[in-house]
Amino acid sequence: MIEQLILALPMAIVVIGAFVLMLLSKSTRFNLDKLNLLAVLFLAIAFIMQYFTLGNHTIAFLFPDVFGESFILDDFSTIFDMMFTGGAILTLLVNNDYIKSRQYYSTEYFTLILFSVFGMIMLSHAHELVTAFIALEIASLSIYALAGYHKNNKVSSEAMMKYMVLGSMSSAFFMLGTALIYGVVGSTSLTEIALYTSSHTIDEMTLLIVGASFIMVTILFKIGAVPFHSWVVDVYHGAPYPVTMFMASTFKIAIFAIALRLYLVNFAPINSFWTEMLQVITILTLLGGSWLAISQKLVKRMLAGSSIVHSGYLLIALSSIGLGSELAAPAIMFYLLAYFLSAVGSFGILSFISVHSKKQMSYEDFKGFAERRPYMALMMSIFMFSLAGFPSTIGFLGKFYIFSAAIESGQILLAGLGIMTAFISVYYYFKLIAMMYFYPSQTPQKKLTINVSTVLIAVMALLVIWGGIGTSLIPFIPGADGFIDIAKQAMSSLK
Amino acid sequence: MMQHILTFIIFIPLFTAIVLGIMRASTKSLKIGAMFSSVITLFLVAVVAYNFNPDIGMQFTKNLPWIQNAGISYIIGVDYLSLVILLLIGLLMPPLYIYMYHEERKGYWYNMMLLQTGVTGAVLSLDLVLFYLFWETMLLPIFVMIGKYGNGMHQYNSMKILLMTILGSMSMLFSILYIGYIYFETTGMWSFALSDLAIIAFEPKTSIWLAAGFLLAFAIKIPLVGFHTWMAPAYGSAPTPAVVILSAIMAKLGIYGIWRFGYGLFESTLSYYAPTIIVLALIGLIYYAIRAITENNLRKMFAYSSGSHLSLIALGLFLTNIYAWSGSLYFIATHALASAGMFLMIGLTYKRFNTVHISDLGGIASKAPIFTFFFAFFALSIAGLPGTGGFVAELLIIIGAFKADFWIGVLTATTMLSAMMYIFWMLQRTLFGAANKECQYSDLTLREITILLPLVVLLLVTGIVPSLFIPLFEPQLTTTLQDVLFVIGGLK
Repeated sequence: MIEQLILALPMAIVVIGAFVLMLLSKSTRFNLDKLNLLAVLFLAIAFIMQYFTLGNHTIAFLFPDVFGESFILDDFSTIFDMMFTGGAILTLLVNNDYIKSRQYYSTEYFTLILFSVFGMIMLSHAHELVTAFIALEIASLSIYALAGYHKNNKVSSEAMMKYMVLGSMSSAFFMLGTALIYGVVGSTSLTEIALYTSSHTIDEMTLLIVGASFIMVTILFKIGAVPFHSWVVDVYHGAPYPVTMFMASTFKIAIFAIALRLYLVNFAPINSFWTEMLQVITILTLLGGSWLAISQKLVKRMLAGSSIVHSGYLLIALSSIGLGSELAAPAIMFYLLAYFLSAVGSFGILSFISVHSKKQMSYEDFKGFAERRPYMALMMSIFMFSLAGFPSTIGFLGKFYIFSAAIESGQILLAGLGIMTAFISVYYYFKLIAMMYFYPSQTPQKKLTINVSTVLIAVMALLVIWGGIGTSLIPFIPGADGFIDIAKQAMSSLK
Repeated sequence: MMQHILTFIIFIPLFTAIVLGIMRASTKSLKIGAMFSSVITLFLVAVVAYNFNPDIGMQFTKNLPWIQNAGISYIIGVDYLSLVILLLIGLLMPPLYIYMYHEERKGYWYNMMLLQTGVTGAVLSLDLVLFYLFWETMLLPIFVMIGKYGNGMHQYNSMKILLMTILGSMSMLFSILYIGYIYFETTGMWSFALSDLAIIAFEPKTSIWLAAGFLLAFAIKIPLVGFHTWMAPAYGSAPTPAVVILSAIMAKLGIYGIWRFGYGLFESTLSYYAPTIIVLALIGLIYYAIRAITENNLRKMFAYSSGSHLSLIALGLFLTNIYAWSGSLYFIATHALASAGMFLMIGLTYKRFNTVHISDLGGIASKAPIFTFFFAFFALSIAGLPGTGGFVAELLIIIGAFKADFWIGVLTATTMLSAMMYIFWMLQRTLFGAANKECQYSDLTLREITILLPLVVLLLVTGIVPSLFIPLFEPQLTTTLQDVLFVIGGLK
């Protein structure tokens, strides 16, 4: 029993933290700074505990006599948990100055972030469809609220409405899919579903496939795949920077956590049914996302559009799994980490710049940025290189694994298209670099500010480089191989 | 030391740049640091050249595991082919830094150091992914230098060269991944080492597509005609040091890539592409020469001239006989020296007269004799003046062309003629004629002569006593050629 409690603790700490912060938020003795620190503290404790549970899972399910097989405990979910908590910590710390500079931030911001992290953790542990649905809704509802956090701003409210209405509708698909699957299998437990799918032929499972496809719709909606993408750019644009950062990186990872679990284990026998559908969606996502990203003037919207393209790369790997690629699943995890670092870094720089201005940064506003803030410009360039998949950054290795997996599974044309869109992405990412470096600055150089945000951004830039060229020559520090090894370990714990 | 010497040669410039950057060095210490790093690398390159054994293939190799999961390793080594370009890089960097002596913009120096690491790494790497890494890395400094320090429509032109070159690189990346996968399929392991991949026998149809990926990257870099639209704008906008590296080193890397990876991986497939490329090269040879005749901007004129001569080198490479091959390799070296000297002279012209347009120049000969001598010497050595290295090389290629086919030989021979045409007409209009009254005609200073003199001496030595150099690479070149001919069954 005690052992069970200890294993449940990381999840519990996050939700307890959320409640504590909610109670403290009305106290006058706690300002934003202190609450932020407290939230980070809760998450850090959870992070450390997750780290120590990694690799020694003696129990397969949490409280099996109470919850049945609803919560699974394995390395896969723990590694994802660490990414969520780590992502939330970074989001909170990097944006510390930003939230202080805006009047509309009040104390419940932290509560919402913690609740959403709790939802994501639950999602990665969920081993039952209704649990997964509830977890997804906990995470999503917090993010709906966060997206509309700037209440007096029309764009922000519009983003919230758009996201909430469309998101709820897509969640309804999840529910419908669950109901259909329940109708066939007689259970919503993933174990039962896996048993059913492996013991029946495809012809016998029409209804189950329909139900699973509905669940896929929700997943595709949440990661912003075309044709379920119409909300992405507007919502990313309308939401405040910290929230956009959180959505683009951490929340996307959470969706892939459940998608991978479903796709790899429970629906594995019927994967072949989706392959063509997924391939079409991938092609649409890559091309549509590229188009959206190219045509934007605001950097934030460009990053939103490009996040669709990155979802497209991940979908290439997802359909490679169905075609029997060994590399694909670890490649997805690696790519998620690579994208996470670069996206948090670039959104972090945007929010850092926006501390002193109310303006939405467009390409034009970046003219002469390298003269005003040479170090920031250098780091922004590093993140852009990584997003564009330029070699010697972690983004290149991410793409390298994804495209290798695609070729391995025989999707040569899809790999070719992926490389073409990577080429297109060079244009819109390097345009920013060109703006930063190639134009003189109107205002003089700003002083070098060293605070938590800048240090963290610098650390992330270093990680991006190290993840791309890290060698195993230096002992004690994991090289570029390190994370893909962890990802492989996670995937092997799934099976 | 000896086994790590190539690693040092690659990374000393980058390391210097990083250390200086972290120390936030002043411009003065930056200059000293850059100069110092280039001299040290030159010394190390000299050590390599001195200890180089012309009778064996790859030397000074170093193989370290890098990203083991994907089979990517850090493999470097030098053979006759890379040694030529390595020597060129080593020799060109110190003069370039002396040329940049008055340059106060720090970014310039950092970019040059990064550029040196990029091109050196690309020449020495024997792992496909490592090569790709350096191949892309060397593009960045050029992109920044054209975009930030260039002239004319430099922002647009830098984006153009970036996108066109990356289009090629991406197609190459695709081929690299696919080759790695084929190796994985046959052996069950991932590897991107050239020596491992060279033993795979590809299916003819796959091989054609794979080779196309590589050839596109190299054709854009050279550039062959049809892939050249970035060339004149980029050369026209680039600052002098960048343009020197572009024409003297980076364009040659396109040739080097075909030589090393094209012939290393798919000998037989290249013979499938040979007719196409020979035709493209012949068209390029003549088309670029005509463009050079009509061009008024000196930078663009020599961009086209450079394109014309690189087409000649590519032509020699694809003719696959020993004359053409030795000529091509020899021309890589001598054309690099001559074009480096020429573009430096154009840079000096711009410093003096603030223009590179032929119509604005004139009458330099009467006012600045030393300047005139160097200018004319480099221009003529580009045209293939007997007594300079270019003449020997062009002659060898033309002999090789005649050996392959009479009409190819005839068309190839026109290159000497057309080069003489645009060079002499250009010289007549810039050096002679009526002087432009508004310009200051100051002659070359001692510093500028120090930059140019080594190049002149090298061009003369390579021209007068080619027997000093040709035996150094001939044994291995013959072996490689015989291997290639063996595989393709003796292309005419």
